[in-house]
Amino acid sequence: MYGYTGNLLRVNLTSGEIKVEKLDEKELRKYMGCTGYAAKLLYQEMPAGVDPLAPEAKVVFATGAVTGTLCPSGGSYEVCYKSPLTGTWNEARSGGAFGPKLKYAGFDFLVVEGKAEEPVYLLIKDGRAEIKPAKHLWGLNVEETTDAIINELDDPEVSVAAIGQAGENGVLYAALINDRGRAAGRGGIGAVLGSKNLKAVVANGSGGIKVARPKEFAEVIDKAEQWLKNYPFAAIPEMGTVGLLSGNNAMGMLPTRNFQTGFFENADKVAGEVVNRKYQIKRRACYGCSFGCGRYTAVSGGKFATPPMEGPEYETADMLGPICGVDDIEAIIRGNFLCNVYGLDTISTGISIGFAMECYERGLLTDRDTDGIPLRWGDAEAVVKLVEKIAHREGIGDLLALGVKRMAEKLGPRAEDAAIHVKGLELPAHEPRVESKALAVQYAVSPRGACHMHPNWPSTWDFQVDCGMKDLGIPWPPTGGMQDESPVKGVAYRYVALQGEISEILGACIFHSWGSEGSCLTPQLYAEIMKALTGWDVTAEELVTAAERSWNLKRCFNAREGFDRKDDRLPKRISEPIPDGPSAGARVENLDRMLDAYYEAMGWDRSTGLPTAGKLKELGLEFAVG
Amino acid sequence: MSKVLVVDPSKCTGCHRCEMWCSLTKYGEINPSRSNVYVIRREPAVDVPVVCVQCGLCVDVCPVEALKRNGKTDAVVVDAESCTGCGTCVKVCPYGVLRIDEETDTAAKCDLCGGSPACAGHCPHGAIRYEDAGKAAARRREQWATAIAIKIS
Repeated sequence: MYGYTGNLLRVNLTSGEIKVEKLDEKELRKYMGCTGYAAKLLYQEMPAGVDPLAPEAKVVFATGAVTGTLCPSGGSYEVCYKSPLTGTWNEARSGGAFGPKLKYAGFDFLVVEGKAEEPVYLLIKDGRAEIKPAKHLWGLNVEETTDAIINELDDPEVSVAAIGQAGENGVLYAALINDRGRAAGRGGIGAVLGSKNLKAVVANGSGGIKVARPKEFAEVIDKAEQWLKNYPFAAIPEMGTVGLLSGNNAMGMLPTRNFQTGFFENADKVAGEVVNRKYQIKRRACYGCSFGCGRYTAVSGGKFATPPMEGPEYETADMLGPICGVDDIEAIIRGNFLCNVYGLDTISTGISIGFAMECYERGLLTDRDTDGIPLRWGDAEAVVKLVEKIAHREGIGDLLALGVKRMAEKLGPRAEDAAIHVKGLELPAHEPRVESKALAVQYAVSPRGACHMHPNWPSTWDFQVDCGMKDLGIPWPPTGGMQDESPVKGVAYRYVALQGEISEILGACIFHSWGSEGSCLTPQLYAEIMKALTGWDVTAEELVTAAERSWNLKRCFNAREGFDRKDDRLPKRISEPIPDGPSAGARVENLDRMLDAYYEAMGWDRSTGLPTAGKLKELGLEFAVG
Repeated sequence: MSKVLVVDPSKCTGCHRCEMWCSLTKYGEINPSRSNVYVIRREPAVDVPVVCVQCGLCVDVCPVEALKRNGKTDAVVVDAESCTGCGTCVKVCPYGVLRIDEETDTAAKCDLCGGSPACAGHCPHGAIRYEDAGKAAARRREQWATAIAIKIS
C-alpha cells in the first residue's frame, strides 16, 4: 500500500495481547483514514453508553495518508475517544513528531483497549510493540517522564506522548502531551489514558512511507510549496498564533473575563508582539511542517521564571490571561508551562478558573471554598496557583478539575449563566458573537462541543476566502457579511465544514487549508497530492464525500449517546449583547433558524438534527441507520 | 568555483523537510532514516541540520576505491557497484554523515544531487543553502568566530 503503512496495531492492556491487523485498502479509501476511519472503528467496536473511564472504553490514535509525508501540513495525528468531560465523540489533534513517527514505526492506527493492572508505557518500534513497566514513572510530570524514557531507551530520536499528574488524577480535561510541548489537548484524553494506567506511548521507526508515483509527488509538493508562498494568513507563522491577540482585541472579539466582554484594556501587555520581542528563543515547527507557527520561549527570572518550552499559543494566552483578567505575560507563560508539564488543556483550565473568578465575584464561591485564595479578576498569582491545584486535585482544584458544566451543576442555577460551554466543552478563544455567525453554528454542532478546530474555523469563509470550494458549490461570494444570520449561512456552513473535514480525514493540520486556488491546500490540490501519494484516482469530489461520511458518522456516534438537536445549543451569554468595547451590541439571535437551514443542507432531520436513513444509505453507512 | 552546502541553525525550525526531500529524491520514498542530510532536534531549542562538507576523508580510507570526487560538483560520490558496504568510511567520518543504507547494503552519502540539492532547494526558512564556495567560506568564518568569541551580556 502506498501513502499508508496498511497496518493497525491493537493493544489490550488487560490481557497484554498485542496484535497487528492488516487494513483493507477499499475500506480505507472509503473513509480515507485518520478521524474518518477512527469514527468507523469506534462506532462499530464501542457500544453506546460505555463509561469513558472504564476499561471497556477504547482509544484510537489515528494518522492519515499525508501524516509524515512531505505534504506541507502533514505533522498531525489525532486521538479519537469518548470524552469523559462531554460524553461525546472527541478527536484531539496534535502536531510535533508523534504522528509521523508512529507511521515510520509501521502503523497508521493504534487501538488501545482495556486497563493495565499497574502503570505501563507502550513502546512502538519498527513494526513491533512492547508493554513496558512504568511504575517508576507514575507521579512524574510530562517532562520528567519524557526524559526518563529517552534515557532508559538510550534513544533521543523517540517521540514520547505522555500524561502528567493531571491525567493520573483524572482531571476531566487532562491532556496528552507529545514531544514535551505539543498537546492533544481537549476533552480529557489524559484522564482516559490515566484510567487505563497508560503513562505514555513511545514511537520511532526506520520504515518509510512508500510513494506510488514519486516524480509526480515531488512535482505536486513543489507546487504546494509555491502556492503556500501566497498564503493569506502568513502573519500567523510570522508572529506565532499568539500574534492574533492584538488584532482580535482591536475588533472587540478577544474573549475577556469569562466571556463577559470582548475587549481587554491591557491587551498590549500580553500581546504576541511582547512574546516575540522579549521571551522568544526561536521559532519551531511540527514534524514536516513548512509553516512553523510554534514559538519557543522562556522567562529568565522573577516569580514566574520558566524554563524553555513551546508556547504560548493564542488560545493559551487568552485563557490564562484576559479570560481571567490577567495582564501579566510572564504569569501566562508560566501557567502554560505548568499546563504542559502536568498535562492539562489550557483552554478548559483557563475558563474553569475564569468561571470560578466570576462565581467568587458573585458570592457563589467564598474564601472557605477556595482554600483562602481570593479569586479576583487579574490576580496572576492566583491563576498560577490554581493550575497547580487543579493538576493535583487539591482543595478548590478538585472542583475546578470537573470543568465548568459540572461545576455549575454543583454551584446551582445562579452559576449556570456563567458556565461557558457547549455539550460540556469550554469555548475556545474565538468570540462567536463577533467573529462570524458561521462560527456560532460550528460551536453548536461540532461533535465534540464548542470547537475552533474540528473540522474548521468557518470564519475564514466569512473573511472572503473560498478555501477552494467555489468549484464545488459553495455559495460565493459570501453575502450579508460576518454578522449575517440568514439561512444561507447554514447552507454555506455545510460546505465549509466538509472542506475542513478533509484535513481531518487526511491527517493534515488545519492551517494551510484557508485560502483559494494558488494560495492554500484546496480540496483539488489535496486530491492531486493523494493521487500521486497513494496511486488512487482520487478527486476533490471523492474527498468531499469521504468527509461527509466521516462528519455524519461522528454525528451518529453522538446520537447513540443521546445527543441530538436539543444539545446543539450555545451558552446563554452568547445570545446576550456584548456590553462594551468595539463590538458592543453583538450577539447571536437566530441560532435556531441557522440550525434549520444547516440541517436541511446536510440532509438531516430538522426536528432531531440527526442524519436521515436516506442520507446514511447514500453515504454507504447502512450500519449506522437506526 | 563550485558551490557548497551551508547551514544556519538559527533559521532551522526543526521541521525535517530536508530529510524527507532527500529520501524522496534518492529512494522514491519518504523516510528520514534514509536521508543523507540529518536534522538534530533536541531540547532545549536545538535544531541543527548536519550536512556533508565533502571533505573527502572517506575517499582516502575506502579499501575498494568506491568513493570518488565528482569533477563537476566536487561532491564525494559513492559508486554503489564497487562499494562492499564494509563501513570503513562510516567509522572515519568526523561529522557522522555517512551511513550504510540498510536496503542496498552500501554506503550512502550526500552527492549534492548532481548540483541541485533537494534539501537546500526546498528548505522553507533558508536554513540550508547551496552557495558559492567563497561566500559560504565567509559565512562559516563568521559563524566560527561568533561561536568561539567571549560573550559579554
